[in-house]
Amino acid sequence: MKKLIFLCLAIGLFCIASVASRGAAADASAADVKIGLMAPLTGSYAAEGEDMRRAVELLAEELNKAGGINGRQVQIIVQDDGSDARTSAMAARRLSTQGVCAVIGTYGSAVTEASQNIYHRSNILQVATGSTSIRLSEKGFKLFFRTCPRDDDQGKVIVNTLLGMGFKNIAILHDNSAYAVGLAEEARDGLNKAGGMNIVAYDALTPGERDYSAMVTRLRGTSPEVILFTGYYPEAAMLLRQMRATGWNVPMLGGDATNNADLVKIGGAAAVAGYYFVSPPMPGDLDSRVAKDFIQAYRSKYNGDMPRSIWAVNAGDAFNVIVEAIRNVGDDSAKMAGYLHASLKEFESLTGPISFDAKGDRVGDLYRLYKVNDSGEFVLQPRQ
Amino acid sequence: MLEQLTNGLAIGGIYALVALGYTMVYGVLKLINFAHGDLFTLGAYLGMTLLVSFGLAGYLPPLAALLVMLLMVMGLVAVSGYLLERVAYRPLRRSDRLAAVVSALGASIFLQNAIMLFYGPNYETYPDLLSVTASLTLFGVSIPVMRLVMFLASVLLMLVLYLFINRTRTGTAIRAVAADQGAARLMGIDVNRIIALVFMIGPALGGAAGVLLGLYYGNISFNMGTMYGLKAFIAAIIGGIGNIPGAMLGGLLLGVLEALGAAYISPVWKDAIAFLVLILILIFRPTGLLGERVAEKI
Repeated sequence: MKKLIFLCLAIGLFCIASVASRGAAADASAADVKIGLMAPLTGSYAAEGEDMRRAVELLAEELNKAGGINGRQVQIIVQDDGSDARTSAMAARRLSTQGVCAVIGTYGSAVTEASQNIYHRSNILQVATGSTSIRLSEKGFKLFFRTCPRDDDQGKVIVNTLLGMGFKNIAILHDNSAYAVGLAEEARDGLNKAGGMNIVAYDALTPGERDYSAMVTRLRGTSPEVILFTGYYPEAAMLLRQMRATGWNVPMLGGDATNNADLVKIGGAAAVAGYYFVSPPMPGDLDSRVAKDFIQAYRSKYNGDMPRSIWAVNAGDAFNVIVEAIRNVGDDSAKMAGYLHASLKEFESLTGPISFDAKGDRVGDLYRLYKVNDSGEFVLQPRQ
Repeated sequence: MLEQLTNGLAIGGIYALVALGYTMVYGVLKLINFAHGDLFTLGAYLGMTLLVSFGLAGYLPPLAALLVMLLMVMGLVAVSGYLLERVAYRPLRRSDRLAAVVSALGASIFLQNAIMLFYGPNYETYPDLLSVTASLTLFGVSIPVMRLVMFLASVLLMLVLYLFINRTRTGTAIRAVAADQGAARLMGIDVNRIIALVFMIGPALGGAAGVLLGLYYGNISFNMGTMYGLKAFIAAIIGGIGNIPGAMLGGLLLGVLEALGAAYISPVWKDAIAFLVLILILIFRPTGLLGERVAEKI
């Protein structure tokens, strides 16, 4: 008898639970579209991640105020990737159990790479925002897109810029990260193919250190006329500072990962002056109507702060294309991907018109040349 | 070659200053103070606060500001070191050695996160007291002025410590406690006071090293204590842990070996070289370069 009562109770509880959970699930699908954001909120690139979060949350707030997507509100679920591949895999696993239809992110190529398989298996659309390594889109993942350009676009612009500068001897330096190696190889192969330039050194440093004086002395021994550093801004700043400190004023050119206001903060304006880098245009240099409105809204929401770099704005782009896809074909990931591949053409977003090719890469050349002036401002150079 | 030597000596001076804190504490307590690297970070941050928030550089000429700041930071970090000893180590003095080590690790994590919460997770930058781009040319090698200042300051601090330990009564008391706590107590030395003193001197030097590092590289981060602490710990072992001149020698040697390794082998192998040196020394001279072979106490 006791057993019977227990059984009845158990069955009763089970029924209530299943009804309750079904109710909750039905509620969510009617009301909210969940979009994940995977960003480096801690770790080396925490500042970038914070800006990505701000940009996406601002756009989501504006969208929800204007009525959401076809009447459905958008909910952003943020996970920290810790600027680190292992943490990113965990973040991806967490997001894929939280019912998101698409994920925005992330910044570092190696970090994005660690999450790709997980989103692919969970059938979630991924739009990376700052990961420019070529191989990310060469794996045949149909649900992978990015709103940033890839390294070979950047490599081409770097090669052309270097050839235009008219130097003979060049030293190339990377930091062994997927991103920096990709860019360094691209530049090396491009220069070799073009001919006329001599690569006197091709070397790597360890990121995250402070002392690169040994590296600087070593490079100086090979007497290059220009240095190409393909790594990130903290190391670029330390390199410049330690070069200038020993009175070595060789010109240095970098990639877009050095496009960050902290470059000047870390290195000091005196040391960083004269440094060149190629990069997509910066938030303040964007001139389209949408971009200007976005920047204005961003500054008024976040006490006058500008997004530190273009990558946060690219996160905003990613949000916009995902929303556009959901608006047109609903939140089924395969349909969204189909729409982004085939139907989205010249979509007006923050960093300019967006279209994707068959691999999910953004079409069109975004890169421009910048030079740091004596007061530490990044000045856009006219197109060559 | 000469230039690589100056590169190595500059960072070696920092390693040596931090290593002194490890070695002194080990000398009197046979305890590795794992929180020492974070006291070093604390010093760097306090120095930045004094310069930026209190505008120390605004009132005084650069070198005087540097000196005043250095002394203030040393005082503040010394107090922190004292508090650390009272809170984290003294209550465990009579318990198992392992308990003290765990407490040290806990203190390290606590300090590191406290600094992160207070100052934030980003790089913080030092104002430039001296021109970043100024350099002197000695023997055909151009040496940044800041590097020279850093090296001279660390050598000066080590010299003062050396004289203090060897020429004063308190210094003699410290050596006595390190040699044999029980006997020192019988001779009328207040062992608790000496231990507290050691926990002030070591961190004061570490804090000074933090300030010098901040000034030289221009930026600091909340988690830098881990790596510099580890390197300094290696330096202390290379020199023979517990031995004060050994820590100085070990620090400078490690800095130079790293610089030469980076120059002639590969910059990427810098850390590997440091650890390789450590392993070799542990194999061939387990007590370190200047360490004495002491019979295990019964």
